[in-house]
Amino acid sequence: MNVNFNKRDPLYEQVVRHFKEEIAAGTLVPGQEVPSRRELANQLKINPNTAQRAYKEMEEQGLIYTESNSPSKLTKDQSILGAVQDELLEEAVSSFVTAIRPIRVPFDKIIGLIKEKYAVEEKEEKND
Amino acid sequence: MKNYLKLVNFEFNRCAKLYFVLIGLTAVSQLIAVFVESRRYLSQVNVALYQDKIPKAQFLSETGEMSMFWIVNNAWFSLPIIICITAMLFYSFFIWYIEWMGKNSFIYRLLMLPTARMNIFWSKLTTIALMIFGLIAAQLALLLIEGQLLEWLVTNEFRVDLSIQQLSESSYYLAILIPKSFIAFIMHYGAGFGMLLIVFTVILLERSFRFKGMLLGLVFGTVAFLLFFLPTIASEVVGFKGLYPEELLIAELVLGLMVIGLSSWTSHYLLNKKVTV
Amino acid sequence: MIEVKGLTKKFGRKKVLKGISFTANKGEITCIIGINGVGKTTILNAIMNLTPVNSGEVLIDGEKISKTSYEKITFIPDTMTMLPGFRIEQAMQFMQDFYQTWNQKRADELLGFFKLEKTDKISALSKGNTAKVNLLLGLALDVDYLLMDEPFSGIDIFSREQITAVFTSHLIENRGVIITTHEINDIEHLIDKVVLIDEGIVLREFNAEQVREEEGKSVVDVMREVFQP
Repeated sequence: MNVNFNKRDPLYEQVVRHFKEEIAAGTLVPGQEVPSRRELANQLKINPNTAQRAYKEMEEQGLIYTESNSPSKLTKDQSILGAVQDELLEEAVSSFVTAIRPIRVPFDKIIGLIKEKYAVEEKEEKND
Repeated sequence: MKNYLKLVNFEFNRCAKLYFVLIGLTAVSQLIAVFVESRRYLSQVNVALYQDKIPKAQFLSETGEMSMFWIVNNAWFSLPIIICITAMLFYSFFIWYIEWMGKNSFIYRLLMLPTARMNIFWSKLTTIALMIFGLIAAQLALLLIEGQLLEWLVTNEFRVDLSIQQLSESSYYLAILIPKSFIAFIMHYGAGFGMLLIVFTVILLERSFRFKGMLLGLVFGTVAFLLFFLPTIASEVVGFKGLYPEELLIAELVLGLMVIGLSSWTSHYLLNKKVTV
Repeated sequence: MIEVKGLTKKFGRKKVLKGISFTANKGEITCIIGINGVGKTTILNAIMNLTPVNSGEVLIDGEKISKTSYEKITFIPDTMTMLPGFRIEQAMQFMQDFYQTWNQKRADELLGFFKLEKTDKISALSKGNTAKVNLLLGLALDVDYLLMDEPFSGIDIFSREQITAVFTSHLIENRGVIITTHEINDIEHLIDKVVLIDEGIVLREFNAEQVREEEGKSVVDVMREVFQP
């Protein structure tokens, strides 16, 4: 796993976000085992205490759960999982809107551009 | 105690190779001395008896018999002893300084061992002592072997056999190394190890305070030395003869113990509080 | 916890440490950062009682260091601490002979992890491998605290990566670690706590994640503030 973290945002938040992206993208399947905090620290090359904190945060948000004496698993609760995608989407769209508002482009033009761009990226992804 | 023994074992193994080379060198050189001296003597015998036609009795009374006396006073015999003594003196310093030398600073490891630091000190002292006694033992064994060899090389009629006792009196070096009496043995080696202890303390002073430590060491060494040899100085230099030999011995013993106490207490303090990697 | 309290030290007339105080917790990686020659190594030596200090004290779990402490805390200096003539297996045997906390299983594991040969002579090792052997000899002790002097400096990139991996592994887990460095870049995300040192004093002591969370600053940002006001 190669993730680029920035150095200014709290690392644990970046780790949680990284997980959310994987959930939204469907890379992580509901109910799937997640790595132990040590494995995670090792994979991401981050401090184990930070990995621990990230898991604690995810547990509080209901993203993962731990039954006694077994590894933590991703939740099967579809409402939580669905909310993750919505959350990420809303976040991305609102920052997108904030970014393009000052240019005052007509709404239809934006939609068209988005459609075009999306098609191109999807094609590229398939070719990869 | 266990750690002390382990350290002694470790220290000895460290220099074992060099040590056995030293013993081997001595053996070879001294055996050469036996050959050289017996051949010289035998050629003398040949020249006298067969060329000059001198009667055997007259030759023996003029030249004398062959014995270990000639051998122990040959340079091939004494040179390796001098080398060994020098090596031991050198090693007494080296055994400490090597720990700080080069890229590999073993002193870190030694000081971080979970054992009293004085164990390091005593193990080094013990190692030197073991090496010295080992060399003496080797020398005694060599003397027996050399005597045996001489018996093979020179026939009975031209040879006188000497005891180790007689031998040790006939060589300057052997006289020091193999004292005649037990008391003399204790005195010689006691004084020797007392001096070694002082040297170790001086080294630790230098290691703790570097240049200043060298000066301190000089002062410490002189004081300890003077204290140790106070009775000798009193009688030999000042001319004070007020003590009977037994009293002198006891005074020497007490002073010796004082110096040993002072030196080991100082070393203990330095190793625990002042020494630096 | 390791508590360093008011350490001062002079080399001749030069004051190298002018009252250094900080703490390092068990289960955390504490990083002492300062430019070269600022006294970082001296601090570690002083914690281990390998060099005398003029004043101040060091407490390890509330106790002053003694001979038994060396089963509880160990130090990996940036020089080799074994005889150059030893093979790696002899070095491990030596450790086993003297330390009750020596863990041969872990040593073997590290040997495999670092791809080192037991029969290699220490004097013949490359710089990177020498650093790894040194690390092995320290990490294979089941001690609570580990001090490392510049574990990342002067070695090749692959050795660096391997050593980095050690920090996120069970080899470090639950132990208290103090490392010194003059260059933080690669390891910003590895450490818990930072102690910035210059001219013999602690300029700032902070938790890296906390500073990111509360001030939105990276460790380097804080260093810039502190070192170049």
